Amino acid sequence: MKRMLLIALREYAAFVRTVGFWLSICLMPLGLVGVIVFSGLAARTAPAPRLAILDFTGGGYAAALTRSLSAGPTPTAVVVRPPPGAGDGYATAAARIRPYLSGGLDTPSGARLDAVAIIHGAAAQPALDLWTRNINEPGLQATLTAALADAARRRHLALDGLAPQTIAALDATQPKVTQFSPRSREGEVSLRDRLPGVAGFAMGVVLWSLILTGAGILLNSVIEEKQNRILEVLLTSASAPEIMGGKILGAALVTATALAVWAGVAGATFGARNPQLLADIAGLMVGRGLALYFLLYFAGGYLMYATLFATIGAFCETPREAQTLLGPLMILLTVPMIFMGQAVTRPDAPLLQALSWIPPFTPFLMAARAASNPPLWQVVGTTAAMCATIAVELWVAGRAFRTGALASGRFDVRLLLAGIAGRGEAA
Amino acid sequence: MDLALKLDGVSRRYGAFAAVSDLSFSVERGAILGFLGPNGAGKTTTLRMILGLVAPSAGRVEVLGETDGRRLRARIGFLPEERGLYRRMTAVGAIAFFAQLKGAPRSEARRRARRLLDENGLGEAADRPVRALSKGMAQKVQLLSAIAHDPELVILDEPFSGLDPVNQQALEGLVRGLKARGATVVFSTHVMQHAERLCDQVVLIAGGRKVFDGRVADARAAAPRTLILEGALAADALAGVPGVAEVAAERLSDGRMRLSAKLAAGAAAPAALRAVFSRDLDVSGLELREAHLHDAFIALTGGGDAAPVPEASAA
Repeated sequence: MKRMLLIALREYAAFVRTVGFWLSICLMPLGLVGVIVFSGLAARTAPAPRLAILDFTGGGYAAALTRSLSAGPTPTAVVVRPPPGAGDGYATAAARIRPYLSGGLDTPSGARLDAVAIIHGAAAQPALDLWTRNINEPGLQATLTAALADAARRRHLALDGLAPQTIAALDATQPKVTQFSPRSREGEVSLRDRLPGVAGFAMGVVLWSLILTGAGILLNSVIEEKQNRILEVLLTSASAPEIMGGKILGAALVTATALAVWAGVAGATFGARNPQLLADIAGLMVGRGLALYFLLYFAGGYLMYATLFATIGAFCETPREAQTLLGPLMILLTVPMIFMGQAVTRPDAPLLQALSWIPPFTPFLMAARAASNPPLWQVVGTTAAMCATIAVELWVAGRAFRTGALASGRFDVRLLLAGIAGRGEAA
Repeated sequence: MDLALKLDGVSRRYGAFAAVSDLSFSVERGAILGFLGPNGAGKTTTLRMILGLVAPSAGRVEVLGETDGRRLRARIGFLPEERGLYRRMTAVGAIAFFAQLKGAPRSEARRRARRLLDENGLGEAADRPVRALSKGMAQKVQLLSAIAHDPELVILDEPFSGLDPVNQQALEGLVRGLKARGATVVFSTHVMQHAERLCDQVVLIAGGRKVFDGRVADARAAAPRTLILEGALAADALAGVPGVAEVAAERLSDGRMRLSAKLAAGAAAPAALRAVFSRDLDVSGLELREAHLHDAFIALTGGGDAAPVPEASAA
């Protein structure tokens, strides 16, 4: 035990004493904030597309569309005059506007044309052809479709004799919908009631990334020590389980440090901007026991994957060799990520319940489902299966680790099996 | 006889490949044993069996009176071939860490580490990271890491590999120091000069089998002595000389001839010399060269490397 702690402390110190570790820890939240801020800034500062509207229906839709596109603080598009000759007829319109949209010509006002909306067909049932330079222009098609449908509906109602005030009153009619749930303290569902679902999803995602980060650190550390023959020296001073246990514990402490820093930064940020939300999250994590679930599944998931990664590392001479062996494992690890969202929105779906019983998925899916109070028998059963798997894995890995640490050359599955069977190296 | 190490009929197989076969030898406490053999001869596998890292497929290994390697960790020091240190750790930190793993308390381990570094001229480098040390200094730190816990048996795998002559000599001094304080030292090498200068006993293996076990002088005696003549000689000038097994002729840059005659094992040198003198040869130089350990090694092992160890095995 003393040797295991000694190895763990050395492992921990080796990481936290490096500038790179603290840089990566600090850059992670800064990077996240940067992505959010700059993507929003990029969207806000992007110029609105310049759009011309051609209406061949005689229904007067151009004005309605122009109003709709200009509404709000950020216009969806800037409406400009159509190119000369484009309004001569629907049959020739497309040919006339093509050179302007393909970049060959500018409009008479010297502006570049980005899109043209051609409204055609009968006034009672208009159709819209939208020509654009950027076929992925966000929101333009949806805004035009909604505006045209609204204008056509208003026209119908006006032709049927409804007064403009009546139409406006109809438009203003919005039913008040209120969601209730027996799980909600006040009955009416509030942001606080939705918080567990969000927290469950966040827990699953954070667990996934933390476990992979910790296991990755461990993998690289084991490979490096094998390359340097340090593992061989360690094996003359401590048993294979002590070495593996020490390294797993050390990497777990590194991961926990990263988590503590990130949680501190998040707490300080929330505390400054929304103290009530911070209090609600804290109450949820502590009061409803989500923190306990998090610790349980972090410990289980980390042990399961760290043991596996450490064993793989012991058999590999280079990170590239390890990547080859990790390929199938990484594919397996994408499964819980795919189902993580559904574990929050439909936690009782039969497929999700079944997947939760598969030990490699248990930590992530059960963490995500924890907020929706899954049945106790499922919590106990899946946890027991996870613990049994970890026990078997530790037993197997303890034997294989020694064999791998002393092996040379490429990974050989026969050597692995011999190690597990106790025929690889010393007992 | 107080033995530090005893191997009795030890074999180690990896599948169909026999890395070590029926190996037996013993080492007295306080002795320095040179474990010699060509590359792939089974030296590392044998050292790993002594260390308890690899179990023998057959036979018995007894170290310091114990057969369970796990009980011996604190009594054995090990230096692997090349590297084996944490590069970001300081020299004093690395030595203290391994001493602590062997059971020394933290403060005592650091105190010993500093003392060892001072004693070996590395005091100024004590707080420098290992990666900032020269290869020679790092190798010394490595050896100090292996002995900081004051082990009874020290096992060194190719300790002189890659070192310049000055550092080789310094390391030899360290090994002699270990013997002086009563430790038993076993080191593997294929550089015979070190073994010749340091060892009380040598064991030669080739192809996983022992080919010699004894004193250096006995090993040298097992190799043929060489009679060297230089002068205006014909290539066949030594034909028929009693005791001469084979002769190599070489033309020197000044036109003279050098004849190197290997004497057959057990041949009497005086008889051969008398025969040479009786021939009235034009000899300007004559030397009777005793065999070196290197010659014994070549003679006993056949000179070549052993068969390579199969991949993914730990030989």
